[in-house]
Amino acid sequence: MDTAFRKINVDLFDEEALLPSELYDPDPRAAAQVLADTREKSGAVRGSLSRGDIAGALEVVLDQAPYGEGVDEAKALNLSSVLLILNSTKTSDIPSLVKHLTQQQQDTLMKYLYKGMAQQGDHADVNGSVMLGWHERLTEVAGIGCIVRVMTDRRTV
Amino acid sequence: MANTLRPYLAAVRSTLTAAMTLENFASQVVERHNKPEVEAAQSIEVLLNPLVISRNENEQVLIEPSINSIRLSIKIKQADDIERILCHMFTRFMTGRAESFIILRRKPVKGYDISFLVTNFHSETMLKHKLVDFIIQFMEDVDKEISEMKLSLNARARIVAESYLTTFG
Amino acid sequence: MSVPEVFPLSVGPITGHAFNADRSQVCVSLNTNEAQVMAYDGTGWKTTETLSEHDKLITSIDWAPNSNRIVTCSQDRNAYVWTQVPDPQTGVVTWKPTLVLLRINRAATFVRWSPHEDKFAVASGARAIAVCSFDEENNWWVSRLLKKPIRSTVLSIDWHPNNVLLAAGSADQKARVFSAFIKDVDKRPGPTVWGDKLPFNTVCGEWASPNGGWVHSVAFSPSGDAMAFVSHDSSISVVYPAGPGLITIKTTILPYVTLAWTSEGSLVTAGHDCQPHVFQGSENGWAMVGSLDSSKGSHRHTGQRNQIEAFNRFRQADSRGSQSEEDTELLPTVHQNTITSVRAFDGTPEQVIRVSTTGVDGKLVLWDANAVAPVAGLTGKMGGLRM
Repeated sequence: MDTAFRKINVDLFDEEALLPSELYDPDPRAAAQVLADTREKSGAVRGSLSRGDIAGALEVVLDQAPYGEGVDEAKALNLSSVLLILNSTKTSDIPSLVKHLTQQQQDTLMKYLYKGMAQQGDHADVNGSVMLGWHERLTEVAGIGCIVRVMTDRRTV
Repeated sequence: MANTLRPYLAAVRSTLTAAMTLENFASQVVERHNKPEVEAAQSIEVLLNPLVISRNENEQVLIEPSINSIRLSIKIKQADDIERILCHMFTRFMTGRAESFIILRRKPVKGYDISFLVTNFHSETMLKHKLVDFIIQFMEDVDKEISEMKLSLNARARIVAESYLTTFG
Repeated sequence: MSVPEVFPLSVGPITGHAFNADRSQVCVSLNTNEAQVMAYDGTGWKTTETLSEHDKLITSIDWAPNSNRIVTCSQDRNAYVWTQVPDPQTGVVTWKPTLVLLRINRAATFVRWSPHEDKFAVASGARAIAVCSFDEENNWWVSRLLKKPIRSTVLSIDWHPNNVLLAAGSADQKARVFSAFIKDVDKRPGPTVWGDKLPFNTVCGEWASPNGGWVHSVAFSPSGDAMAFVSHDSSISVVYPAGPGLITIKTTILPYVTLAWTSEGSLVTAGHDCQPHVFQGSENGWAMVGSLDSSKGSHRHTGQRNQIEAFNRFRQADSRGSQSEEDTELLPTVHQNTITSVRAFDGTPEQVIRVSTTGVDGKLVLWDANAVAPVAGLTGKMGGLRM
């Protein structure tokens, strides 16, 4: 007797089930496009940093950050760019830099801070005190609402 | 590394305050039931993104929020074997009495040393800002306790060893 | 500036409140399966009658002002309509329940009478909204379910002034406007900015805040041409279907869970920050104007208060090596816990004079809707649009 039906995962066939990808609007760009954009931005960031233009570098990397599924390489690349910027900023500059970001950019920066802290064991570039310093300053300016938005926004970077 | 303690606790405090926005939510899956959604994990839309706040590789806090409950897991600093044993015994002592603790979870989440589960019923009967204060205080005290226990352990071991070895001249 | 009137009704949360037409009585649910009808006796609110039919927590109450009927819904999947009739044996006027067969198989979360009070809508965890109307022939309430395209628990609903359109906010992060046109009960409505020729269960539109977040509360403006909703990403959005579409204002504080329009260009929101805030605007933009709570220190939102205290404590501990004991138990705001419901109390829908709020701390507070204490910087930008 064929008993294979006992092993199927019924939940996969449930039409009414909500998938994680349905909880947010997907990125309109194709995956390859996202990767190309991120590589370009990473180059631009290195250029800005060598000139000492940290504010410009931040704006470039926080705009249109890759999110969602299928763009893992782009996400890792963007995270490295962000970490590079965060590590090369002087502590005294952080408050003014953060104040000049738009709300959208502040939310994205907060997402990267949490992502960085989550990968502290695996990623070599992550420095706990740098992350926490930025987190404190960003919370002072953007408030708790920023943290709530990181929790609710399904467009995870 | 004492200079990161303050921003670490401040980050945990602000993230916890942001997560402690709970409301009564009847289960969508089972009728007439009311479960903590973060534990049931049946409906993905009522769960929020879990966040990690870390000071370094060995000290982390994981906060998993949802619409009616939060699960908070702490990884305590354990530098050597003695601290590992002490931490293990300390958390066993507490989790064994989890019922009187109210918000403590009997088993920690995998990868962490101790976990709390705060539901909307807790935040209705207790003040939210005091719950957050309590958890921050707990995090500070655990580290202090373990260091104290280790010191007293070492002191006692030294006294015992001295008094034993003096008998040999 | 009038001082808010505070009435502590219970120690636990108040899950729902509704006033009668002349505001002399209020029906509340004190986190139990019973609803209490309270009357104002000059100093406070005293229970005159207890309505007990439900098995589980009553989640929402609404009182129809003209027909004087109360509808309650609960987590036990039922709703009851209560009417005041003289008791057959004693002759005393009491509230008698009528069970409504909602045909939902999960908890009911929210209920509201329609403007003409011939229908009411119940939001539920069964991913559906039950629109109920009275069937004269069989002398009972029948329900029709609005199901598609709702994917999760419906958290809140609001009726359009034309008695046909219904706005719903749900845990699948969308705010939708449905048509709840019932053939024998409603006359065909005229065209509105939301659409025309709308059979039952047509979706007139679906909106979401850019950062996602469950939609906790929705409300139509007094004219019905705009719809506002608050969602869990600490933002409030206003939809103008005839004009700019969706306008979102993100805030820096904890999320709101309830809102009420006080005029065509202003609304009051409240939530986890424990104080009501006022927003004003129009199609050109919206901004936060201030808070109705002028208690000392409430200009700092409650989340920020904890942060500043924490910073000070640690700084003092750093410098003095000891901890200061000035730990304040109470929040600086009038409400000590989340405000869960704000409703218009006095005035007309186009010009609300006072609003009532109830919350998890068990207090019922009446606020002057125009006594706005300015708060700077809570929306992340200074200055806002002035009417």
